[in-house]
Amino acid sequence: MNGIAQLDLVDRDYFTDHSILLDPYEYFEALREKGPVYRLPGRDIFMVTGFAESLEVLANTVDFSSVICVGGPAQQMPFTPEGDNLTPQIEAHRDSFAGGQSLVARDDKAHLNSRALLSRLFVPSRMKANEAYMTGLADRLVKGVLDRGSCELITDIAVPFATLVIADLLGVPADDRDHFMAVIAAGAPPGALDGDDSEESMHPLVVMAGYFVNYIIDRKQNPRADVLTELATASYPDGTLPDVAELVRLSTFVFGAGQDTTAKLLGNAMRFLIEVPGMQAQLRADPKQLPAFLEEVLRLEGSTKMTSRLARKTTTVGGVEIPIGTKVMVALAAANRDPRRWEDPKAFMLNRPRIKENLAFGRGAHVCIGNPLARVETRIVFEKLFEHTSHIGYDETAHGKPGSLKLDYEPSFIIRGLEKMQLALTPR
Amino acid sequence: MPHIFVTTAKNVTHELEIDNGATAMITIRDAGLDGLLALCGGVCACATCHVYVDPACASMLGEMSADEDELLDGSIRRKENSRLSCQILLTDALDGLRLTIADED
Repeated sequence: MNGIAQLDLVDRDYFTDHSILLDPYEYFEALREKGPVYRLPGRDIFMVTGFAESLEVLANTVDFSSVICVGGPAQQMPFTPEGDNLTPQIEAHRDSFAGGQSLVARDDKAHLNSRALLSRLFVPSRMKANEAYMTGLADRLVKGVLDRGSCELITDIAVPFATLVIADLLGVPADDRDHFMAVIAAGAPPGALDGDDSEESMHPLVVMAGYFVNYIIDRKQNPRADVLTELATASYPDGTLPDVAELVRLSTFVFGAGQDTTAKLLGNAMRFLIEVPGMQAQLRADPKQLPAFLEEVLRLEGSTKMTSRLARKTTTVGGVEIPIGTKVMVALAAANRDPRRWEDPKAFMLNRPRIKENLAFGRGAHVCIGNPLARVETRIVFEKLFEHTSHIGYDETAHGKPGSLKLDYEPSFIIRGLEKMQLALTPR
Repeated sequence: MPHIFVTTAKNVTHELEIDNGATAMITIRDAGLDGLLALCGGVCACATCHVYVDPACASMLGEMSADEDELLDGSIRRKENSRLSCQILLTDALDGLRLTIADED
């Protein structure tokens, strides 16, 4: 029976199967049994579940393009591959790929240049300045739900927190922030399994772009001491200047990218806090262990399950030939549970050796640029929750009793996170 | 063509071509040299692209920022000539720069 079940699982379609959403890890383990680099039968997609092999793909920006990163490996190619290097075809058709102009999807010099414009956003001095705002905001949000003795973590705390932190970081005027939040809340997550992904999920960013056009033009004309001015007047590393459209694209991108993923990470972290025996008491007694806790959460359940690449030349990964024009799905969540890299990979253990090398944020040229921010954000929300409550648990009327928990995950092949998490809070 | 010289922990020296506008970190990473984790991806938020600058080349580089200084302070392997390679923007003027990748903390 077991053998038949395994066969079924590995043959299911990761990109459309809702049952894999609840537990993608079992599916990834079934894939892993086929080898760290496995070609889906009859398809032009390789699934990479090995840690070393994932690193190999992420490091190889010569043979792999990131152009399919937003739409995923199952999307239709807008051209028939020709020749032994697809770079010219990719660039000619970039606009035909879902999110092909996004920072995550760019390659080579265009990517290097765009990323460099954002590189000053996350330096320690900026993080410290932003941290004061984060602390006050988290305090306000947590206090706001204490009277009720319960909250829906994602909507009441995580989403407003992550959204307003990015707004503050970018210098979005306070008056516009509520509108931004409403627009984002109405959108679908990246990699949505249902509906027309490319159109729907980009929509909130299109609305925000309208605002950023005005901010950027205004700051170019009336510079002041804020982040938007810095961005509006920044030059590429080679000294040339980006146009307004590029600046707008980048700022809306940071907004979109830093919001949902961080909100989901907070929910995922909360699961471990509640469900790992003794963990809540241990962290309450010694909150300095929060960063170590978070790294292990990131390893076991980061909010991004996968990323993808298109082979623009024929290459190899882990000794397996990857033909030109085929796609590679790097299962970050699986690499983070590779038993060849992590001892007893399913176990939650604080302070594993070299834990910071987990791949929750990716690695290399496209590593999540906001990773320093996400780490600070999560820590601060937990610190404030600890400060104002003496215990946090699930609201059993919403999620059931321990042992038969019912939790709903967002239908996305990219994002790993809960739609809702009802908590019971015991105020101090 | 202008080059930099990068020595790995295995004491092998590589000659890498300067790509104007790329940082030393990006140049080392894209060359696939061992030992440079660069976990934060070049936003000056960690200290895992730590290198030592050959003292003879010290005058080629400008002052480091307070952010870089603070991050390097967190490394037990900091020396007088420590820098973060993501903060070294390569131009032709840095032709001949010699760097050694620091061991991981």
